Amino acid sequence: MMRKVLILVLLAVLVFGCAQEEKKPEATPTPKPAATETPKPTPTPEKTATPPPFGGKKEVVIGVIGPMALPEGTAEKNAAMLAAKEINAQGGILGLKVRVVVGDTKLKPDEATKEFRRLATEEKADMITGGFSSGIMSAMMEVMAETKTVFLADASSPAHPAMVAKEYDKYKYWFRISQNNGSTFAWDLAEMIDYLRDQGVTVNKVYIIRDEHVWTDAVMKGLTPLLEERNIEIVGDEKVPRGYTEYEQLLLDAQDKGADLIMPILAIAGTGDVLAKQWAELQIPALLAGHDLAAIDAGFYEKTGGAANYYIFLADGGVLVTAPPTEMAAKFVEAYKKEYGHYPESHQAYGAYDAVYIYKMAVEAAYKAGEKNPFDPDVVVKYLEKYKPGNPAKLTRNVAFHKNHALVWGDDYVRNWIAQWQDGKQYIIYPSTVANGQLKLPPWI
Amino acid sequence: MLKTDFKKLILGIVFLVVFAAAPAFLPEAYVYLVGMMFLFLILVISWDVIVGYTGQVNLGHTVFVGLGAYTAALMQVPSRFEGSVDFLAGMPQAPIPVSILAGGIVAGFFGLAIGIITLRLKGFYFSLVTAILPLVFLKSVFVFSDIFGGEEGFSIGLERSLAGDVTLRYYYAFVIFLISFVIIYFIVNSRIGLRFRAVRDDEDLAESIGVNVVRYKILSFVISSFFAGIGGAAIVHYRITIGPDLYDIPLMLLIILSAVIGGLGTLYGPLFGGIVIYLMKSWWLRSLLPSIPEWLPINDDVILYAILIAVGVLAPEGIWGRVREMLRERAEAESPQST
Amino acid sequence: MIDIAVRIIVYGAVVGGIWALVASGFSLIFGVARILNFAHGIFFILAAYLGIVLAKSGVNPYLATLISILFVGGFAVAIYTGLLARIKEHEVMVIIVTLAIALLVEQILIIIFGEHGISYPALISGVLRIGKTPITYKRILAFVVAVVVLALLELFIHKTRTGKMIMASSQNYEGALLVGINVDRIFIITMFLSAVLAGIGGVLYTQVFAASPAASLKALIFAFAIVILGGLGSIKGSIVAAFIIGYIITITNQFLGAQWAEFAALLVIIAILVFKPTGLFGVEE
Repeated sequence: MMRKVLILVLLAVLVFGCAQEEKKPEATPTPKPAATETPKPTPTPEKTATPPPFGGKKEVVIGVIGPMALPEGTAEKNAAMLAAKEINAQGGILGLKVRVVVGDTKLKPDEATKEFRRLATEEKADMITGGFSSGIMSAMMEVMAETKTVFLADASSPAHPAMVAKEYDKYKYWFRISQNNGSTFAWDLAEMIDYLRDQGVTVNKVYIIRDEHVWTDAVMKGLTPLLEERNIEIVGDEKVPRGYTEYEQLLLDAQDKGADLIMPILAIAGTGDVLAKQWAELQIPALLAGHDLAAIDAGFYEKTGGAANYYIFLADGGVLVTAPPTEMAAKFVEAYKKEYGHYPESHQAYGAYDAVYIYKMAVEAAYKAGEKNPFDPDVVVKYLEKYKPGNPAKLTRNVAFHKNHALVWGDDYVRNWIAQWQDGKQYIIYPSTVANGQLKLPPWI
Repeated sequence: MLKTDFKKLILGIVFLVVFAAAPAFLPEAYVYLVGMMFLFLILVISWDVIVGYTGQVNLGHTVFVGLGAYTAALMQVPSRFEGSVDFLAGMPQAPIPVSILAGGIVAGFFGLAIGIITLRLKGFYFSLVTAILPLVFLKSVFVFSDIFGGEEGFSIGLERSLAGDVTLRYYYAFVIFLISFVIIYFIVNSRIGLRFRAVRDDEDLAESIGVNVVRYKILSFVISSFFAGIGGAAIVHYRITIGPDLYDIPLMLLIILSAVIGGLGTLYGPLFGGIVIYLMKSWWLRSLLPSIPEWLPINDDVILYAILIAVGVLAPEGIWGRVREMLRERAEAESPQST
Repeated sequence: MIDIAVRIIVYGAVVGGIWALVASGFSLIFGVARILNFAHGIFFILAAYLGIVLAKSGVNPYLATLISILFVGGFAVAIYTGLLARIKEHEVMVIIVTLAIALLVEQILIIIFGEHGISYPALISGVLRIGKTPITYKRILAFVVAVVVLALLELFIHKTRTGKMIMASSQNYEGALLVGINVDRIFIITMFLSAVLAGIGGVLYTQVFAASPAASLKALIFAFAIVILGGLGSIKGSIVAAFIIGYIITITNQFLGAQWAEFAALLVIIAILVFKPTGLFGVEE
């Protein structure tokens, strides 16, 4: 009896719920009142008279997809919404208002593909930005190929631009905007070691602690020959899964093996703060320097209770809150703080923000050139590709794409600066063209 | 007797018509969803075979779903074997029907092996062991991540999906489901099914009238695993990606919830329950999400678990009692006095 | 070489001690009320999270720990009286419902705190060095607390009246009823104790490592493995088994890595469940 009642109730609820489908509430949340002046992007697009609607198009839908339970995801969401808000305040894209819709990948491939599909087909997103994990990115690219949606993305595996190169017509809608290829990390890490040696630090034995994930394999492939060139011995190469916290044993192992440098290559693990704490507490006689996404977060020092002091890390995506490379970056960082109460929690924010603006720029350029439907994905791709080496888009970073749609790496484009935490602040210590600090060694070394 | 058959027939026809015509009036994203639902239903009805009809509460059904899925996926991307099981790496990509069948066969095979070992444990302990099995296979995905792809799995490529077009994919899924359903229906309504139910109702009595209890338990387990494997393999070809979520506990709970709400041991019950639960989770609950206030720490999973808890607590006779109750009801309905 | 041995002995003892706490809690409630509480890992992690939240908002870390452990005990009692008491005869449904509770709370924690680990504010800091091996005071604290609590538990069970009633109820439910023991009240007390033990384990674990929602599942798996190995219903068995498993984990960790450690634990459970479901010191049904 109970069961029959339960079933009837569920049925009723189901029917009722499906009926509700028709009037779905908007996904944009009520933005908090921002008192800052809305920063103008460079270059400023000319405001033309209201252009005619394109086949009855009422709005521009921007999708954000990422792991919303992680700072990488929320940063993407927040940044995209901020960009949309600013753009709307200036009249939107070609007179059409921008609406942001959000998808949560939950860092699971089936969730990610479901959500991507939903954003593309149900929400009819014109452009989707986001992503984080390289493995999930590959899965989403398959759906993107099906739905033909422009996807301005994150992640770092060289496999993605390789897909574009191999089957251009299928995957051309994908561009990586947030950061460089994993292989570039290897170059930056090698240059970091050169810099350390220049400063008098002995680096002969390196102990590597990296994510158990496909992206670090790409980095290692590039790094290993570079280390060999420099006569450096890799005394340890430990892979850690997501959420790993038992770094003590690894740190002691490194100490046993006489490592001068402990090099983390972490992003997915997410527990860089635990690593820093344990390193500082045990006072391991080795420098902690490498790639750790967690260390980029402006709140990292506080999170580790100061243990992050002297931690050397790569600033992915080419921006540090304390050292914005362009005027737009500086304005963005402050606007973000004003809107959300804290600085961008991860570098994915810059990618997402730039993605919205570069999309706007591409669409407007297409319109100016006389394209009949500037929002057509094939058309947008054409205009995005115009931002190539020699002609970067000046956003929060200088963004340009290679033929395979990977982000261009270089001093005048985007590269992963070597930075260090010193007494609560982040300083760039290399390259000297942007450096605003000097290397400091922990007292116990 | 005839009346119930007639009712079921009408229901069946309505079902077929509605779902065959669905793509015509559903937006594309929903067609995709409902297609996926059919594959989920295979998982649910196959679970009913071992639990509802044979009375062995297998809490590790997802082991076979995952096995079928990974088998199919690896047959599509044999290059993943490079560096470990090299002789398999050279395999050519299998045609899709072969891949799906292989998934079922591998799952069934493991079902045989696992069944032989575990089915000799008495009810409660059996459930306990089977509850832990998925965790072992889950871990194996991470430990051998070169082959299985670890946490994020891998994709088999758009070309290897059931069909490039979403609507066509929907129909393929529908057909696979129908075939599975028909086969299972015939099995449980045959003499074999009768023996399953005998084992469920009273093992000792069954043994005494000559039913080889162990053999039929294992047979049921193998059939159940085989179809779970088919379901898993089909799912991989449907959504193109594979991940450890197909081994994981949330999927198991979803299956349990569907079958228990629907009514175990009836095949139609779990079918119905599966439709309700799957659509509710993927469709309605998801659309509810934006209207949930930001400060409330709830998402669609939370609501679903809450429902499962409520059902479990309010209908606690759960699996054993329900079955017995339903049997009593059915015996009364089918007895000569009431027609 | 000696350093590694020292490290293994010390670390193994710490891990064993923490898991002994968690496992004995699990074993207690099963032995007494025949409830296989798959949500046990939640008490483990909730105490840690609550303590962190309280400490972050200014409460003294020690006080925060006390409050969160007591809260977790209360939460367990609420779950029992509200949900489990009605269905405790249906063992399989109890597994399903407690599993659902575990996943539900885990999801809520993920939504509120995100998936990454966070660490507990230090209850004690500093490092002791034995030879070249540094041993943080946190680990020493964890071990000492674990041993003390377990000793108190033993005393409680064997010396106090309530403890003896608990023992009686676990050995013979009907007999206990006949003798006039308010068995239901005993169940509630046991539930409280079980959660408190898990909570203490959780706080200690988070001191040395870090808390993440996924750790609740880890705690459950290990508690389960240990209790099965030691024998469902035997607290002494759980404690012995905890140290055995603790050393197996530490040694596997040292030489093969964390993933293998959990894998090994799972295989151990299955093997034992299949061949000797009653474990090392198990009570025959």
